[in-house]
Amino acid sequence: MVTVRMEELTKYFKKGKNIVKAVDHITYKISDGIAFGILGPSGHGKTTLLRLIAGLEVPTDGYIYFDDEPMSAPGKIVVEPERRNVAMVFQNWALYPPNMTVYDNIAFPLKMAKMSKHEIDKRVREIAEELELTRVLNHYPKEISGGQMQRTALARALVKNPRILLLDEPFSNLDAALRDSARALVRRIQKERKLTTMIVSHDPADIFSIADAAGVIINGKFAQIGNPADIYNTPATTLIATLSGDINLLSAKVVEDTALIANLKIPLNKGLISDNEAIIGLRPDEMKLLTEPQDIRGFIDIGRVRVKVSSYTLGVFRIVVSPISDDNINIIVVSDEPIEPGREVHLLIKPDKIKIFNKEEKLIYPELKNIVTA
Amino acid sequence: MVITIVRHDSWRLQIKHGAASAPILLPPTQFSTEAYYFDWVGFGTLIGLEFPMIRQLLITVPVALASVILGSMGAYFFYMQMERRPWVSNVGFSIISLATFLPAQTLTVPLIELTSSLGIYQTYWGGLAFAYFIFYLPMSALLMSIFLPVVPNYLIESARLDGARDWSIFWHVIFPLILPGFLSTLIFVFLMVWQDFFTPLIIATRPSLYMLPVAARQYVGGYAILYNRSFAAGVITSLVPLIVFAFLGRYFIRGLAALGGGAKGV
Ligand SMILES: Nc1ncnc2c1ncn2[C@@H]1O[C@H](COP(=O)(O)OP(=O)(O)O)[C@@H](O)[C@H]1O
Ligand SMILES: [Mg+2]
Repeated sequence: MVTVRMEELTKYFKKGKNIVKAVDHITYKISDGIAFGILGPSGHGKTTLLRLIAGLEVPTDGYIYFDDEPMSAPGKIVVEPERRNVAMVFQNWALYPPNMTVYDNIAFPLKMAKMSKHEIDKRVREIAEELELTRVLNHYPKEISGGQMQRTALARALVKNPRILLLDEPFSNLDAALRDSARALVRRIQKERKLTTMIVSHDPADIFSIADAAGVIINGKFAQIGNPADIYNTPATTLIATLSGDINLLSAKVVEDTALIANLKIPLNKGLISDNEAIIGLRPDEMKLLTEPQDIRGFIDIGRVRVKVSSYTLGVFRIVVSPISDDNINIIVVSDEPIEPGREVHLLIKPDKIKIFNKEEKLIYPELKNIVTA
Repeated sequence: MVITIVRHDSWRLQIKHGAASAPILLPPTQFSTEAYYFDWVGFGTLIGLEFPMIRQLLITVPVALASVILGSMGAYFFYMQMERRPWVSNVGFSIISLATFLPAQTLTVPLIELTSSLGIYQTYWGGLAFAYFIFYLPMSALLMSIFLPVVPNYLIESARLDGARDWSIFWHVIFPLILPGFLSTLIFVFLMVWQDFFTPLIIATRPSLYMLPVAARQYVGGYAILYNRSFAAGVITSLVPLIVFAFLGRYFIRGLAALGGGAKGV
């Protein structure tokens, strides 16, 4: 519904004698109708950024505009939060207890907008239908399941047709089994309504499932911005690589355009690395384990590894292996089937998916496709 | 706790030795309601307790209710200022504490001066209610400010984002959550106003304006103490607090318990 523009947006907190730079000179524009994802470790300013947009925090410096209308200025809230028509789904959902039912919760923003009872009823029932809450409309929040609470919070956010939807780790309090359907729901609603959305999470799955564009926030700054797939495939640093998904980061010696990790040999493009050290990044789902050597298109065999342990999570086997000549190096590989521990197998990788970082943990290969601001 | 709350200034006044008194330790020889009747209707220049009792009820309930409602709102206002304008909040709470803890006696002269200049000295709804507010509004605000932090900040923020202004936030979100504390404070302030001897003593000294504790004071005796009449006056003045506590005592306790258990007290 609206374009969000941040200019040199900054928020410092005083903590005793220290100054915490929660949000540090962020300049970015989120286009109308886009779902923007913000990924970052805990305590690095994600919530603060959302609260600034909502008007719950006064910026230390910088500006926020919705389209061309100024919302916040240095040290000043220009438009109060209650007039911004921003919806925010809090991490704990912030349902109004203990006297309001699910219906009352969803109706609250409309009541505040002084809408007629008839119109309120119509809108509440519509959104309840869409989010499958009709059956629990007369229940109190403490009487419904976590999934229903989360959908109630979402319904309350959407019912007022907000200009912007802010989601702060909206799925982290849900059971893992419910998360995928919750993500699918949010994505569908966001796309259908073309609702400008900011979703914050430390879980890359939330971002990849919903966001059209994403930024990685580290120490209050965007360390990388781009489309989620680009961040996943070309993370600018090892930290971003870790934040954007599981990855094996292995220290390698580089000799004659080959990266050596114990007995594993990874051929590199000629002259790619001048240094004799590098960090190789391999995502668990971009490798394969084979009991017999075999040519598979797109993969190369980099050597033999020994299986340490197999475990099963979320429908896939995760197998921990070590190079046969060095038991201290652990590599996690995703596999369709378990392999018994102790067995020696071949490790295959996709050479085009390999990520190479220099000693300073910056990406050397593949080439960055993203705007990097830090 | 029950004892401290119900204890009365007027009780204390009963125990006083006069020049000529009936022996206090004489066991009752017969059952009699004579003393109650005597106190209730009065005799000669002694004002009966009937009208002071009605007067007391008529003013205590609305004064306590209004003090606690306005006090809660005041507490909420200063609480909300805590982040944005801490000095407003600090100054506010300092004044409130000062007003609560200042001994009432030090305010005798200023209070009489003030009510006189406002033309409400020796008036019931004007002067007396006003004086009660001066003492019990800050006390209510102070007590309610203890209960306010049970309301999680994110609920207030969520309500603001939903377009609620302070008035709606207070009544829709805050009030239901602080209701146990509100009832506690209401009961406490009610009892405080009921047993307040000093305020009516300086503001409403005309016999036609006697409040219950002041009227009861008559029966403590000038030249002689008739213990049965003194104690009858004591029983009559403490009747309402006893009933209040017997029926509403659990709400009082519940409010205090809510402090420990977060907002789950309801
Ligand atoms: N109200 C506050 N007062 C002081 N420090 C704060 C406040 N809010 C957040 N911070 C600090 O700002 C930093 C960023 O916090 P936050 O935005 O909550 O991080 P995230 O959501 O990424 O976990 C943290 O160091 C946090 O301690
Ligand atoms: Mg956070």
